[in-house]
Amino acid sequence: MRRLLDRSRRMVAYCGGPAGFFGACIVVLLLVMTLGAPLIAPQDPLAVSIVDQLQDPGNSHWFGTDQSGRDVLSRVIWGSRASLIVSGCAVVIGVICGVPIGLVAGFFRGGWLEQTIMRVLEAVSAIPILIWAIALVGIFGVKDAHIGPVTISNATKLLIMLGLLYIPTLARLTYTSALGESQANYVAARRLQGVSGVRIMFSDVLPNCLSPVIVQATLLLAIGIIIEAAISFVGLGVQPPTPSWGNMLASARDYLLSGEWWLSVFPGAAISITVVAFNLLGDGLRDRLDPRHASAQMTR
Amino acid sequence: MLTLILRRTAFSLFSLLVVSLVLFMLTRSIPDSPARIVLGDQATEQQIAEFDHDHGLDRPIVVQYGSWLRRLVFGGDLGRSFTSGLDMNKQIAETLPVTMEIVVVAFAAATLVSLMLGTLSALYRDGPIDYLARSLAVLGVSVPGFWLALVLILFFAVDRDWFPPGGITPFRQDPLGHLLSIALPCFCLGCFYLAVLTRMTRSSLLEVLGLDYMRTARAAGLHPARVLLYALRNAMVPVVTIAGVSFGHMFGWALIIEQIFNIDGMSRALLTAIQQRDYSMVQAVVMMFTVVFVGANLVADLANGWLNPRLAAAS
Repeated sequence: MRRLLDRSRRMVAYCGGPAGFFGACIVVLLLVMTLGAPLIAPQDPLAVSIVDQLQDPGNSHWFGTDQSGRDVLSRVIWGSRASLIVSGCAVVIGVICGVPIGLVAGFFRGGWLEQTIMRVLEAVSAIPILIWAIALVGIFGVKDAHIGPVTISNATKLLIMLGLLYIPTLARLTYTSALGESQANYVAARRLQGVSGVRIMFSDVLPNCLSPVIVQATLLLAIGIIIEAAISFVGLGVQPPTPSWGNMLASARDYLLSGEWWLSVFPGAAISITVVAFNLLGDGLRDRLDPRHASAQMTR
Repeated sequence: MLTLILRRTAFSLFSLLVVSLVLFMLTRSIPDSPARIVLGDQATEQQIAEFDHDHGLDRPIVVQYGSWLRRLVFGGDLGRSFTSGLDMNKQIAETLPVTMEIVVVAFAAATLVSLMLGTLSALYRDGPIDYLARSLAVLGVSVPGFWLALVLILFFAVDRDWFPPGGITPFRQDPLGHLLSIALPCFCLGCFYLAVLTRMTRSSLLEVLGLDYMRTARAAGLHPARVLLYALRNAMVPVVTIAGVSFGHMFGWALIIEQIFNIDGMSRALLTAIQQRDYSMVQAVVMMFTVVFVGANLVADLANGWLNPRLAAAS
């Protein structure tokens, strides 16, 4: 019992306090829900049933049914896939491309490389993400694209573009830490040992730059979920009939004035809870990993 | 200060140049050309070549970019759409003021309220106001504005008829009705930024109030209001930066909010253009937004230079 208490205390501390731990718990629950959607969802999210149209939440359908008689609870559960996949993969792309760029610019400071990279990054930071994401999806069209044998769905296009738009933020963040780290004594010591610059950069400097990146990545996950929902909401994201929280809200809009409240309340609540969870976790991680920037802020 | 102004302005122009180039390349690189969209699939090669020649699309892309940029910079002319033939300056002149009004009202309200709330929350730390402000801040950043809009419409426009569920009543026709019709959209748009700015004001002010010179000022017997004024001036620097970024981002979210409330603003212009595959219009709208975004950041930087002369001296 005592060991259990000890361990849970350590878990809470690891997430940066009770609020962060609470966030982490919800995130884990969400992941379970996403991965286990086929097992957890009570019904097929695509099963149309004309008899069951627009039923109030009740015993047979906890969250009610939509205009085609589909079970809203099952659609919310399956919808988490679209949201989490898009926002998760976008962050992964952003980190994989952004971190090395910032690392190189910060480590090889004082050269033309740093100047070029940083000027370009600052210039493209002038891009408002949401508008560009909407415009880019608009430009490339919402239909599936075919490149050879590979079919690229609109959700895939969206996550690639979001990922690309995240690069400047993450690269600049890494740059700031890499700049400081590269002047540290341990780097000089490694150089004296005869280790090559590139090796020092990846094996010594990189691990020390990751804390702020982890924090920012968590916050970007929250932003990505909202952006995916917003873009699906205007019809440019995940295409129906595949459920996503955003496109469920979009179709709920037509039933707003006639009083079918459950269509808009549940998917929106799902978005809010997910975003709260990632924000709490991100804030908690920041308090623990990155106390210097405890007052840093995010905006979307 | 002059160096700061020149430097920041030059940099903003450079950003705009890079971003406009990227945007131009993207809109020209799409697989279906304007000629195909206008003339349809049956058009012959010759017809397409004629169309391209008439609209200058057969010139090298760098030349096209050059002439587009020249007209934009020297004449403020966005040109005509290749596909619909509409004058894009007119389109934007019709829709921008609508969006601008909502964004400016929401921004002004969010900034004012957050400054007061953040200051009170920092002064009475751990008191009831502080807890209220902090809970509002967490809620505000987590509830997406477009969902808030749906719920508020449901609650205040459908269940009760306090506010109209959508559209904007013209000011000339009914001033009070106009205010009521923009109240909900502005609230939904401003909520997130209200939360962000409140948090920022609070933490920044707490940091400054804990500094040595604040203790000195108090010890010297300065009036508390005057001490607070000095503190605020320094505490505002990060808040102004975030406010500048927020103003630009609010334009993006205004698109979504307008869509929900059926408001004929920039969102209608952009989304219609996307539907009709009118890429020159998409390009014009995105360029406008980017100019506003960069401009807001520039203003914020300059305001910071004025608030805190050390920043200006450092550049």
